[in-house]
Amino acid sequence: MEGKIIVITSGKGGVGKTTATASIGAALALEGKKVAVVDMDIGLRNLDVVMGLENRIVFNIVDAVNGKCQTQQAAIKDRKIDNLFLIPASQSDNKNVITPAAMKKYCVLLRKEFDFVLLDCPAGIEQGFENSVIGADQAIVICTPEVSSVRDADRVIGLLYAKSVQPKLLVNRIVPEMVERGDMLSHEDVVDVLSIDLIGLVPMDESVIVSTNTGAHLIQNKKSKAGQAFRRVALRLNGNADLPIEVPQAKKGFWKKIGFGLGRNK
Amino acid sequence: MEDSNSQISEEKNPAAKLRGVGDSLWVTIDAARSTEEIKEELDTLFRKLDHLAKGSRVVIDSGIRGENDKLVELLGQFLKENYQVGSVSLPPDNISNSEIRLRQRDLDRSWYQHSSDVLMLTGRVRSGQKINARKHLLLMGDVNPGGEVIAGGDILILGNLLGTAWAGQRGNTESIILALDFKPTQIQIAGYVAAGTSESSGKYPEFAHVENGTIIVEDYIEANPFGRLPWPKVR
Repeated sequence: MEGKIIVITSGKGGVGKTTATASIGAALALEGKKVAVVDMDIGLRNLDVVMGLENRIVFNIVDAVNGKCQTQQAAIKDRKIDNLFLIPASQSDNKNVITPAAMKKYCVLLRKEFDFVLLDCPAGIEQGFENSVIGADQAIVICTPEVSSVRDADRVIGLLYAKSVQPKLLVNRIVPEMVERGDMLSHEDVVDVLSIDLIGLVPMDESVIVSTNTGAHLIQNKKSKAGQAFRRVALRLNGNADLPIEVPQAKKGFWKKIGFGLGRNK
Repeated sequence: MEDSNSQISEEKNPAAKLRGVGDSLWVTIDAARSTEEIKEELDTLFRKLDHLAKGSRVVIDSGIRGENDKLVELLGQFLKENYQVGSVSLPPDNISNSEIRLRQRDLDRSWYQHSSDVLMLTGRVRSGQKINARKHLLLMGDVNPGGEVIAGGDILILGNLLGTAWAGQRGNTESIILALDFKPTQIQIAGYVAAGTSESSGKYPEFAHVENGTIIVEDYIEANPFGRLPWPKVR
């Protein structure tokens, strides 16, 4: 069976594309699929750092696309998860060294090699975006509940439709307490404007920063709410499309908990 | 009675029309046409009637009472001579209210001879997308923040307007912008610009128009800007 190529994009930078790519990729690999995560941000690579694999890079995506090495040589096996591979970006080139045509050809090879290929798209809608989208079967648009992020995601969704790539929405960094107070857009507000199907809601989580810095996998931290949310996104991608979408809830305060306990004891 | 279908297919309204009203033949003439044209048309109409025309009562209606009496007289004479009609008269007062006749004429003509140039779309205008309509724009859908809709005439959004809208692009200050949920980023009508607000009634459709040199946004149902027009007009 041919693999699926999914591009993870957002338009705006810093909304969590790289974290989402690493986490969803890892979760899919733990489900037993052969997964490649590809860093398309040529010149500003960082997926390797997030995954803690920067010291193993020999070849990169530019070499692979331009035929200077085999895919197996460029794909770095993860330290902890067997089926997970990273194809890193080149740090020294710029985005124009890969053409959309060459990338499209290379995607055919990737499809044969892996069950899932996740492309970590660079911010912006220039050539790096074109390269990432050209060979993709599906797209996940990451959006945070901020007006600027929604605006950029909307633009990207329009461009994806123009390229006949079906986008799904992932709302990242939801702070339920702020949503409850009305200080943050709710995921409903975001979906109202963007009007595409949701694939997941991910809450704001400090453990993301910890795992990014240490290169540990977020999804292997069972206490991380964001990690578990990403794992459910992966399950949905892996044929379990009906898995209900959990809305992040605000933590109940200490006193509320006590009150609830006393009420039940009566 | 006239066949209304054949009337629709006509490119121009005929110079004269004939229908039966009560026991008389009601002839409506277009006084703007030349007498020859009207006579020609009457010829074709009455030739078809053949012997039915003989001795019949004919009412000649030229629209506004008192303005075309000479013409009516001339045509009456013409009909009496050629088709032996019994009597020729002007329409009775109660029907020949000039307002009603005018309205009828406008109704008859405008629908068939004019058409409005409207670009009608469905869907969602996303950020970075731009719709440009030559005249009016009707969108069944939404305009997202960052989306732009521009029209030479009116803009009607059956949905949320959150982006930018520019009506009357070529300077038509009569243009309006209407949306069911009116929360634009910015609107322009002809040369006037107004920054949008994020507030909207949310319950009623609102519209923007130019009044005394500024853009004003009002509840469309309450203001009912076109409700007082005497009859429908082509926009």
